[in-house]
Amino acid sequence: MLPFLVLLLFNALLAYATDYEERLLLRPLPRSALLASFQFRSNESSTSFEQQNFRYFPRSLGQILQHAHTKELHLRFSVGRWDAESWGQRQWNGAREGGTGVELWAWIEADDEEQAFSRWLTLTNTLSGLFCASLNFIDATKTIRPVMTFSPEGDHPNPSKLHLLHGTLPHEVVCTENLTPFLKLLPCKGKAGVSSLLDGHKLFDASWQTMSIDVRPVCEENGDCSLEMEQSVDMVLDIDRSKRPRDNPIPRPLPIEDIECDTSKYYNGHDTCFPLDKQADPAWTLTEVFGRPLRGACPLTDTEGPNSHTVCINTPPERTVNANTTGQYEEHRYASDTMRCYKLPTGSDIDLELPEQQMTTGLVLGTPPLYAARAINGHGQERGSVQAVIRNPSTSTAVDFVYLEALPWFMKPYLHTLRAQVTGSSENPIKETYYRPAVDRRRGTHIELKLTIPAGATLTITYDFDKAILRYTEYPPDANRGFDVAPAVIRVLNPQSSDRRGAYLRTTSLLLPLPTPDFSMPYNVIILTSTVMALGFGNIFNLLVRRFVGADEVPSIGGGLIGILKAKVQRIRGRFSR
Amino acid sequence: MDQQKALLFGAAAAVRLFLFTAFPSLPSLLAGRVEVSTPVTSFKRLQEGLFLYVHNVSPYDGGVYHQAPLLLPLFSLLPNPSHYPFATNLLYTAVDLLGAHALMLVADSGQSITTRLSKSSRKDLRWNSAAVAASFLFNPFTLAACIARSTSALTNLFVLLALAKASQGASITFILSLSIASYLSMHPLLLFPPLLILCYDVRASKSKVAPSPLSFTIVHAVALVVTLCGLLYVSALLMGSWEFLSATYGVRLLLPDLTPNVGLWWYFFTEMFDSFREFFLGVFWLHVVSYMPGLTIRLRKQPLYVATTLTGIFAVFTPYPSIADAALYLSLVPLFRHLFPLMRYSFLASAVVLYASFLGPTFYHLWIYAGSGNANFFYAITLVWSLGFSIIIGDSLYAVLRDELDVERPELRGKEVARI
Repeated sequence: MLPFLVLLLFNALLAYATDYEERLLLRPLPRSALLASFQFRSNESSTSFEQQNFRYFPRSLGQILQHAHTKELHLRFSVGRWDAESWGQRQWNGAREGGTGVELWAWIEADDEEQAFSRWLTLTNTLSGLFCASLNFIDATKTIRPVMTFSPEGDHPNPSKLHLLHGTLPHEVVCTENLTPFLKLLPCKGKAGVSSLLDGHKLFDASWQTMSIDVRPVCEENGDCSLEMEQSVDMVLDIDRSKRPRDNPIPRPLPIEDIECDTSKYYNGHDTCFPLDKQADPAWTLTEVFGRPLRGACPLTDTEGPNSHTVCINTPPERTVNANTTGQYEEHRYASDTMRCYKLPTGSDIDLELPEQQMTTGLVLGTPPLYAARAINGHGQERGSVQAVIRNPSTSTAVDFVYLEALPWFMKPYLHTLRAQVTGSSENPIKETYYRPAVDRRRGTHIELKLTIPAGATLTITYDFDKAILRYTEYPPDANRGFDVAPAVIRVLNPQSSDRRGAYLRTTSLLLPLPTPDFSMPYNVIILTSTVMALGFGNIFNLLVRRFVGADEVPSIGGGLIGILKAKVQRIRGRFSR
Repeated sequence: MDQQKALLFGAAAAVRLFLFTAFPSLPSLLAGRVEVSTPVTSFKRLQEGLFLYVHNVSPYDGGVYHQAPLLLPLFSLLPNPSHYPFATNLLYTAVDLLGAHALMLVADSGQSITTRLSKSSRKDLRWNSAAVAASFLFNPFTLAACIARSTSALTNLFVLLALAKASQGASITFILSLSIASYLSMHPLLLFPPLLILCYDVRASKSKVAPSPLSFTIVHAVALVVTLCGLLYVSALLMGSWEFLSATYGVRLLLPDLTPNVGLWWYFFTEMFDSFREFFLGVFWLHVVSYMPGLTIRLRKQPLYVATTLTGIFAVFTPYPSIADAALYLSLVPLFRHLFPLMRYSFLASAVVLYASFLGPTFYHLWIYAGSGNANFFYAITLVWSLGFSIIIGDSLYAVLRDELDVERPELRGKEVARI
């Protein structure tokens, strides 16, 4: 087993600031999964940004930021769940990840909260157009102002005028239409460089993927400031699934001759099999896994030095990696040969090929600082409770963290039922609480908790909530599917992460079923309720406005329906008797 | 008599404390039932408001707590009910007993049968006050509301106190209890005109010279307004702002929270088209208010009956009714024992109410938990429930008018009558 130094080194490689750089890290994970982490970074000096002189920074995004007075922006599009139990530590310590759906937070310069909010709406609406996402649905009910969970990554000259706003759309389905505008922001636009591997069919078929855009101002010590934009795409692909040809995408079982069966089991027929887990690492090539070849280097990246080594693969040294190309390429090895980086040829395709190989060594994957899971307990559509289980795998250090929940207004938590319990300790782990309750149809709930979890312990947070019944026009067309609740965000405070990005993890989103009315009968309800009210009203006021007399004091025939009928009968009888 | 009363109250308190202690999960179970706890009376929401109040967060800056501000300091004096529920249980038991005491005072005053201007021809047919109090204390609806610790028990207490004090002619306590009741749940304000007439009648029959009606009305109306404003002002001082007005009375008026209850409003406004929402809110409130002048004018001679009927109307036609409101009405009806022989649909009405009380929880379960029914099941039962109560109200109104006719024209007694 080899020491795991790769992450540190990879981050160190990126510390050199040039105007444009891009990088792809590939790391085979257990159970034939493959992590592919793309990163693109472009810089623009503050003066040229203010003069609208854009070179590597995309003009479309730059103008939106200027128009909405946004100083720092973080946008995430994510699908799936990072399986920390088998994949280990998150890429970038989770700092470039979002919750399922779309997540957006930004520091906006404004004089007061109202102005900040109106600029936030401007920002969400324009970004919605740029990225073809429903970001314009981030309204007051989905916006919160976090106090402990996020801190600015950039250097801001006057932080007192900045307002942090955060919004999530857990229901948003991230898909190809979001990738296309994302690629258009890149200088090479997916035609060359590592971005040429990004294909919607494979990206959105991944077990887990997240696209992020981060814009922040960076100032040198001598006072030179620049605006830095980082775009990243991280995904975990299932190699077997990705290798399925596009013209035959339906998964079918392998022929039984191709499966390695567990021969220690008893079989009563020749067509049954207990498949053994494959011991060998699977064979794959870039073209098979990503569905298209890597079209050489983007000409805007450096041609010399470590920044030109744009594709890195993180495997044990014994793993065979063949590079197939007609052009010139270079291979460099770092970190006791566990990291092989390639300088791509310009103008010709390159493909990396890994044959199937029986491995004797493996990579040690880093342990994440925390494991977190969250679920809804209880049954029925009236009320329930949320339970979040957070585990500290470390045997020596306690972890301080912030737990943020933004709940929709129709999920009404009871704060007096909030309990946080650590296994084997009666001490209250909650150090600080920030709570802003929901207001019907105007604002969602915002809970932030600062907690400590001792080494090796498990922390359980529970609270009860009620489910509101909505007006029938407020339900989506698929009302019985339920409503999505945004993932909880966990920020690890201590042990501190090595850079300003911080360390984060997110739980999955929740599906909240609400009671539904019968959508087909607004008219019937209006009619029936009105009938009951009319019966009550009519009965009472009929008694109030009339006068009682003896039954024999009124003429028996004369008024009413019976009188008319009797008169008719008399007339007909008279006609026949004539 | 005193021994009987002590026995009755002791038994009622014993039953309540037994239920509280023998079934510790019963209070929270009942407090979660939509028939018992509404968004404006729920004890769980009160606890949440209390928690926020104790932790210096404004409970009205949120969508959960919609009850009166003065309940917060009152309940914050008690030990935390989730750990030491006994003090709260004792308080609710005492509230019910006090309510029963007030009801006995009303029954003793005889105002339900003989008022200053009218005297029923069946005045010998009456239950004694202990029987009336027993019908309140052992009414299953009252018991459920008490065990669920719904704050409508407090409203009921102050409404009963206002009735008792008005039927004794005690102006100051009458105004005070009525304004507290209105402060807690707003709609008891509509009881003011009939109770004012009741108070005036009692005062006039007690003293030799009747007080001037105009000055009597003005003095009492001003006193009511001043007490109410005083209560609101104290609440504003306590909360530091006036935002509680929209969170308490605004919610009752505009119905933003559509949690199911036994009333007619919630499903109607769930299914209402957005453009007509405000219009129908106005119509529904106008409808509730319209009964007060009609009944008060027509039954000027029997103000206690008007007040009773209005509590029945509140139990059906207000936005957030619960079975506690129904319990108040059902415990006031036995005061009018002399009308029972004249009621025509008592079997039908009681069958309908029983039917709704048993099927309501069942259908709610089918909708929310079992998933084998939909919202219409519970909605249909609330329609039946409301219909049952409007039958009782209408039938008793018929009875009281017939009784009045017997006094005016004794020759028609026992004969068929027609309405023209």
